[in-house]
Amino acid sequence: MLESFLQQADIFFIALSAQFYFTNIIILAGAVLLGIIVGAIPGLTATMALALLINLSYGMEFNLAISFLLGVYVGAIMGGCYSAIMVNIPGTPAAAATAMDGFPLAKRGEGGLAIGTGVIASFFGMLVSISCLIFLTPFVYKIALKFGQWEFFLLAFFGVMICGNLSTGKDPVKGWVVGFLGFFTAMIGLDKVYAFPRFTFGLLQLKGGISLIPALIGVFGISEILIVLEKEIPYKILGKITQVIPSWKVIRSFIPTAIRSGLIGVGIGAVPGAGEDIGAWVAYDTAKRNSKQGEKFGTGCLEGVAAAETANNAVIGGAMIPLLTLAIPGSPPAAMFLAAIWLHGVQPGPMLPIENPGFLFEVAIVLLLATCFMLIWGLILARPMATILKIKREILMPIILPLTVIGAYAGGVRVFDIKVTFFFGILGYILRKLDYPMAPLVLGIILGPLADVSFRQALMQSRGSLIPLLGRPLGIILLAAIAFIAYSGFRRTIEYARKHDHPDSPKSIE
Amino acid sequence: MIKTDKMAAADLIMGIFLIIFGGLVIMASLNMRIYKTFLDAPGFFPFILGIIFVGLGAIMTSSSLHRKGYAQIKQGIKYFNLTYLSKNIEIRRVMTLIILMVIYIFVFIGRIHFTLATALYLFFTLYYLKSASLFKIIIISIAAAFIISTFFTKFFHIPLP
Repeated sequence: MLESFLQQADIFFIALSAQFYFTNIIILAGAVLLGIIVGAIPGLTATMALALLINLSYGMEFNLAISFLLGVYVGAIMGGCYSAIMVNIPGTPAAAATAMDGFPLAKRGEGGLAIGTGVIASFFGMLVSISCLIFLTPFVYKIALKFGQWEFFLLAFFGVMICGNLSTGKDPVKGWVVGFLGFFTAMIGLDKVYAFPRFTFGLLQLKGGISLIPALIGVFGISEILIVLEKEIPYKILGKITQVIPSWKVIRSFIPTAIRSGLIGVGIGAVPGAGEDIGAWVAYDTAKRNSKQGEKFGTGCLEGVAAAETANNAVIGGAMIPLLTLAIPGSPPAAMFLAAIWLHGVQPGPMLPIENPGFLFEVAIVLLLATCFMLIWGLILARPMATILKIKREILMPIILPLTVIGAYAGGVRVFDIKVTFFFGILGYILRKLDYPMAPLVLGIILGPLADVSFRQALMQSRGSLIPLLGRPLGIILLAAIAFIAYSGFRRTIEYARKHDHPDSPKSIE
Repeated sequence: MIKTDKMAAADLIMGIFLIIFGGLVIMASLNMRIYKTFLDAPGFFPFILGIIFVGLGAIMTSSSLHRKGYAQIKQGIKYFNLTYLSKNIEIRRVMTLIILMVIYIFVFIGRIHFTLATALYLFFTLYYLKSASLFKIIIISIAAAFIISTFFTKFFHIPLP
């Protein structure tokens, strides 16, 4: 026991010393600042920020790349609260719940206080999630080591099913459709077992398959450009930023809400693909129901801002748990982070603590340092942000396209990848216009190869029989969870269809 | 006019598309080579996916028919005209932006220098969006293209297309 503790402490201090280099600290501080600015600008989401900036990490050393990407991630999620509060347009979807109370506060002239509360709540959420990441991940590693082919297949299937279920409001079938389209996308190219070309239509470029990063850049970059630019939405900044840091009395009153919201955020973050926006909404709703001033939520209540902001940042640490232990991202930005560390040759999963024992601590330390920079930058930027938000989106968004082109090209140095990015951008735009969520598509592309190979190998080992699955408790739990998600999802779809059955029913009218 | 859920028609079309697409995936997967048994054949997992697509397509079709999706399609066909589409500002804006992207990606990239291609794309897009005055647009296009190219090649040693 003591020996194991000392061993872990040794790994921790090695990871800690590796981060305290001047270059690392400067890169991290810059990345958090960049993330906050990008996240604050309406239309530039955290996922898009990572998609665009991933190409900058290609030439970096691994340690620097990790610091850079996690810094951007942490900063961007928090940055969304500025525009949510000041202009009522969430900078990132994760900040949508923040706008509910943040904007009414800004209209009352308390925008600065709302931003200060949001920044401190985000800081608190990060601390909760980093603690959970450090203490829960080793347990999940132990469970993950028991995973065989059946469990990996079922986990991939479960990931797409739960993500599809959670990311669509009324019709889960839509989430599942895009999830399985993601699986299908992953089937394109040479088969992983026999190197047989599947769905390549004789095209040489398709034999290598659809590269993950160009597809992600298309889905989150180009489709976002079109979504933002299709309409002219003028916005103006309301109220002046006066007091930013709330009093200790105010902060103390939010601690129970923040702890609860932080834990909710971590829990939602650990669910494959669920993401920061869902975490924020669930925490906001729970806080509203449990608060003594629940009726004031939506009218400008600092507790509402605190609940949403704590949870959306707490999702980050939660999302890292399945990512590090099972190579399954807990949120779309985490999917971008996964793609980036794959590029640098690190393979997360049950073997990670053996192959790279310090990686968990390295991630936790970088997140902790990024959190500190987020607090400092977040409070300093509260007043100057009003100027940054005045940048016209009609100028900014077209400049993003060349960045997506470079991001798609730089990984494989193939012009074909730029065309893939464009195709996925248009596909993403059409699907988003038709109310299809994007998170299951991404998760499907990532988990497709795992589902394909592990299912075929599991069936080969059992000679086509499903009976060996009955002797695997983890497999049975996953199978039961899939069955439950499918049942509840189909029920929601049927209820949705019934509600809109009669043309005169209020919900069916446009 | 029958008032229905506005996504019903789109869901009906998607449902039918999924059934056809799933059928095609099943056919293609059955035609893939079998090495030992079908269970470990390259076509096995796509075959399962094909079945899932047909199933989800059927559910989606049935759900949208309940929501009067068919009536909405009929109504859409009756009132459809190209003049409406061409006058819809949102559609026109998106189509123009897509055309500009197509020219940039499929015509310019790889044929002319990246900096020049980017400057031209930015100029025409910013001009179409009326983002700023003509003088500012020229300055922004040239400056942004030059900064992006220099930044990636000189500082990060990233190749440009």
